[in-house]
Amino acid sequence: MDRDQQRVRFLSLLRPIEADLENYSRRMVFDRRDFEDALQNAVLRAFRAFDRYHDDASFRAWMFKILTNEIFAINRKRGRIAEFEIAVEPEEMEEFVGIDFTPAAAGPLSWEALADALDEELLAALQILNEAERAVLLMRAIGELRYREISECLGIPLGSVMGNLSRARQKMRDAILRARKRSWL
Amino acid sequence: MKCAEVRKFVRLYLDSELDTEHSFEVERHLESCAECAGLFEAEKKFDDRIGRFLRRNRGTGSVPSGGRETRSLWEKIEAQIVPPRSRRVKALWPAALAASLIIAAGVIFFARPRTLDLANAVEECHSAYVHQITTPEFSGAVPAKIAQQFGGRLDTGAFAYRPSEQAFTSSGARLCHVEGVPVALILGRYAETPLSMIVLKKSELDHFPETKRKLESGDPIACSRAGRYEFAARLVDDHVVCVVGDTPRPVLEDLLKTVRRADG
Repeated sequence: MDRDQQRVRFLSLLRPIEADLENYSRRMVFDRRDFEDALQNAVLRAFRAFDRYHDDASFRAWMFKILTNEIFAINRKRGRIAEFEIAVEPEEMEEFVGIDFTPAAAGPLSWEALADALDEELLAALQILNEAERAVLLMRAIGELRYREISECLGIPLGSVMGNLSRARQKMRDAILRARKRSWL
Repeated sequence: MKCAEVRKFVRLYLDSELDTEHSFEVERHLESCAECAGLFEAEKKFDDRIGRFLRRNRGTGSVPSGGRETRSLWEKIEAQIVPPRSRRVKALWPAALAASLIIAAGVIFFARPRTLDLANAVEECHSAYVHQITTPEFSGAVPAKIAQQFGGRLDTGAFAYRPSEQAFTSSGARLCHVEGVPVALILGRYAETPLSMIVLKKSELDHFPETKRKLESGDPIACSRAGRYEFAARLVDDHVVCVVGDTPRPVLEDLLKTVRRADG
């Protein structure tokens, strides 16, 4: 394949997943200043290796794997020092409140309190997820990757993918519950 | 399929990890069991909300940290994706430059006149003369006392060579040793510039193979740098006559051509 054609083909595969890669990068890096570098490095690395990409593999999974490796490398350099960018908007809170996980506590709902509480709890929840839990959760929720693909991306057994995903989800659920409890006056 | 089994599978079902057969059974159970269906709906809502929350700015052009344009970031990244050929050419620039420098250095190195072994050896004699460390021991005939030191490796005739050029004057001569080889050093001046004439027996050339090869290859005169001086040598009878000094090389060559034995 001509090199210009290769670029065109690479971009045609990349563009539909750019937003997912970007969101994943933003949520995965410890220091938010790194997310652009991680993305850029990963995309350029992928293009250099594009002749080794085979059509029968999922381009999405292939890109997530390369990006994950970049992010892990950058995170290792930084250490876990920065906060994730988590902000909750009012319309989202309404949706969260609608989830029926526990019997609703009696009393009026304080939107302001819920906003603060949910913001804090989600932030806390994402921060206490370890790197594998976070990667697995984000690959599934943002990347929509299959368990097998996540397993290949991270180089961990399928059982570990399921275990990490389950723990990550439980921690997020707990965070929402804590937020709800705190916001009921 | 029973409730316990369905609850075990519901996560896999939502993550599209169940095979067709199991998926069908789960769906069939959910249709008939309100409790499991409620659980399933709650789990589905949770997934949707978490997913939407984590990528809520997808496709809107804004990002969680606010304000910065997602598209411009991607335009910047895409602009750096260039076909490998031009990248490779670009990447080769430093290598090409380095290779050119190495080649240029090589050309300069090899094109540069090499310093002959004899030139190297006699440079010190001339330098000592220029800096007045060496002075003439005699002028005129070689004193017997000095001739006794030749050890059969030099003859008095070596001290008899002079250029016929009028501009050359000599203040005297002395016996020197160059790399262990006895030589006649005639301390002179050419147009007021210090100039050393060094004469050794042709048979001693074995100590200076580069010069020997050069002189025996047909070149009447072998030229070279000698440190910061110019050097020229030629065979005259059974001696090698060298001149060393600050004098330009062509002048040295012309001077050498006029060298004759003054004693006969």
